[in-house]
Amino acid sequence: MAGMLDKLLSLDRRWIFLLVLLCVGTPIVLPIGLPVTTTGSTRAAFDYIESLKPGDYVWVSFDYGPSSAPENDPMAEAFLRQCFAKKIRVIVCAFYPLGSLGLATNSLAKVTAEYPNLRYGEDYVNLGYKDGAAAVMRRLGEDIAEGFPADVNGTPLAQLPIMKGLRSIRQVQLVCSVATGVIGEYWITQVHSQIGTPIIIGPTAVAAPKYYAYLNAGQLVGMLGGMKGAAEYEKLLAARYPDMARFYQSTRGFTATKGMDGQTVIHAVIILFILLGNVAYISRRAAQKKGA
Amino acid sequence: MNLEFGRLALVFLFAIIPAVGIALGINSPGLRARIPLLVAFFAGAIPIISLYVPKKFLSGPTGMSPRLDQWLIIVYAFAILLGVVNVVQNSTRKIARRESGWPFSIVLLLGLFATGGAGIYGAISHHGITSLPDGTATPFKWIQDQFFQPLQSTIFALLAFFMASAAFRAFRARNAEATILLFAGGLVMAGRVPLLEFLAVPFPPLQPAAAGASQALGKLTEWIMDTPNGAAQSGIIIGAALGAASMAIRVILGIERGYLGLGRGE
Amino acid sequence: MPHIPGIETWIAALLTLACMSFLYKDNPFFRFAESLFAGISLGYFIGITLNQTLVPNLILPLHRDFGQNWDLLVPGLLGVLLYMRYVPKIGWISRFALSIYVAYYIGLDFTRRIHGEVLPQLARAIVPLSKFDSHTILYSLIFSVGVFSVLIYFFFSKEQDAVTRRVARLGIWFLMISFGAAFGFTVMGRVALLIGRLNFLILDWIYPMIGLR
Repeated sequence: MAGMLDKLLSLDRRWIFLLVLLCVGTPIVLPIGLPVTTTGSTRAAFDYIESLKPGDYVWVSFDYGPSSAPENDPMAEAFLRQCFAKKIRVIVCAFYPLGSLGLATNSLAKVTAEYPNLRYGEDYVNLGYKDGAAAVMRRLGEDIAEGFPADVNGTPLAQLPIMKGLRSIRQVQLVCSVATGVIGEYWITQVHSQIGTPIIIGPTAVAAPKYYAYLNAGQLVGMLGGMKGAAEYEKLLAARYPDMARFYQSTRGFTATKGMDGQTVIHAVIILFILLGNVAYISRRAAQKKGA
Repeated sequence: MNLEFGRLALVFLFAIIPAVGIALGINSPGLRARIPLLVAFFAGAIPIISLYVPKKFLSGPTGMSPRLDQWLIIVYAFAILLGVVNVVQNSTRKIARRESGWPFSIVLLLGLFATGGAGIYGAISHHGITSLPDGTATPFKWIQDQFFQPLQSTIFALLAFFMASAAFRAFRARNAEATILLFAGGLVMAGRVPLLEFLAVPFPPLQPAAAGASQALGKLTEWIMDTPNGAAQSGIIIGAALGAASMAIRVILGIERGYLGLGRGE
Repeated sequence: MPHIPGIETWIAALLTLACMSFLYKDNPFFRFAESLFAGISLGYFIGITLNQTLVPNLILPLHRDFGQNWDLLVPGLLGVLLYMRYVPKIGWISRFALSIYVAYYIGLDFTRRIHGEVLPQLARAIVPLSKFDSHTILYSLIFSVGVFSVLIYFFFSKEQDAVTRRVARLGIWFLMISFGAAFGFTVMGRVALLIGRLNFLILDWIYPMIGLR
């Protein structure tokens, strides 16, 4: 037994890679459709946006790059869909240097195409990317135009109807930061702590454990942790809005809910790997003790 | 000409003093270190004091702090591009000396100049970097969508394979601490996904029991994340924040000089 | 009906495969993709910084209303000064810009850390334990003990005695639970990225070619 396990442990790692590839790829070809259960932090985020009124402002900040897009894109798009369905005005910006602008532009184009009545500059605006996130956030508290003088295409803010009467982020009802790194923390520690605007964070799974501390301390109104959080949000949207239930069931595009099948299979395999590795380790140690 | 107090004060602190410092530093090497530390004090102190002292000359609309924020957004943009010069220098040196792997340095420079060039074209042509007037993508956006996004996604996706391999070979219950880590990791991995429902897929009668057990496991996971994990993260945050705050004070007071390439005595 | 995907899909698919080929072994295709990624990333910085920050926040304000924005010449010059570090004889000049840049952002960091982290996190840890029900024990007491023991573990200024060593050990256990949880979440995050890439390869590249969907 111990000999067999030893042999298994000395397996060329490329076989493990192949197994991982098969475990993740198979549910894409043959979906299982496993259920998703919702957690309190995701429900809190959903309920907060549900409580907003038509005409309110939500600021959606794309603070991630392509390196975490499969986790973060579904969150950002779910926030946008919910806001547009509720006729909430949306201001989009991007602070992550490596690719957030492209993702913000693409997600906005994708979701606004589903709502043909929306008008750019009136119902939503894309302020684009800005360097020096911490300094920009300080200006947002007093005068948004001092941080973002123009939108992504160079149109001065004064010429955009959505920005008429909106001078400071204090007038914004909520900030949703979809984040991969520290920029989500800036929104909490700078904007929420010093200006007071409520924050929802959609972090990557890697960053999520740290955000639980901010959530616990009441610095967040809600949080979506990684792809699981995004899948929970899609479930809540589908339950509340029949149009979105149809959309999430029929879309050919990638959704977090679809990704959860692969997640589940690979988690089972990795837990099995850990168990096998430890059984081999313990049996080898027992054999060594016996020998001594 | 706008001659508000805030702007004039900033120009004095961060243009005239450095200009004098540079002029004096040419003949007096000692001042090359002292005057940067003096301006560092003001640059670091203004954002802090403006938060606690709501005086018009500091944090009012025409005060120093709001304008300094706007200035530093611009300086940050220049700073973020510093690394580009380094990479271009290293790559051209590698190509000139025909060092091993030099053809890949050509690929790197081609990628850099093509993308950077498309960005510069967007600025000069006033089309920007998202879409052209006819609605099609700019060259910059085309490179971003077709090259940059898939490359970045895949390079990071490779980590999934190495993570699985490490779980198989290195994740061992060697002592009490490692065992706790292993159990917590296993529980969280099982509790965040519908693992039990998946395992019960071949046995339909077991599905309701699997769903119930899965919910309980999910609740346990949430408790682990909220309480023991939240407490540890909170401790880490407080410790790291106090360390960072004391480092900030050291930099502002000129005690910490390493970032300027200076030792204690210089 | 099978159809060949467009050139954009082919480029993205072949680059994805070139990166993944590293899993078999290091090879020229991977090194090509890696170098291209590094180059494009740096070029990307140039494009977004120039178009999204330097043009709207520096160049256009100076061009449209110089009288109102004349002072922005100073940060522009400070930015240029940063690059003096690459000129060996006058490299020291860059210190003036670097000191302003580092000190300002570290000053912001100070306010963020104290207001946004130390105070709210301490407030969360200091909770009333007047009621001794299961909720208080499970959520408040264990939380407070956890924060306290982790902070004791991080207290390096004084040598630990028998009591603090035990408390610090408890702190290590809390940290281990957190790191274990972080491992579980990290697996999830990395696998999510792989799911994204395989979705693209299978649904957008392979399926159209074999006439599925």
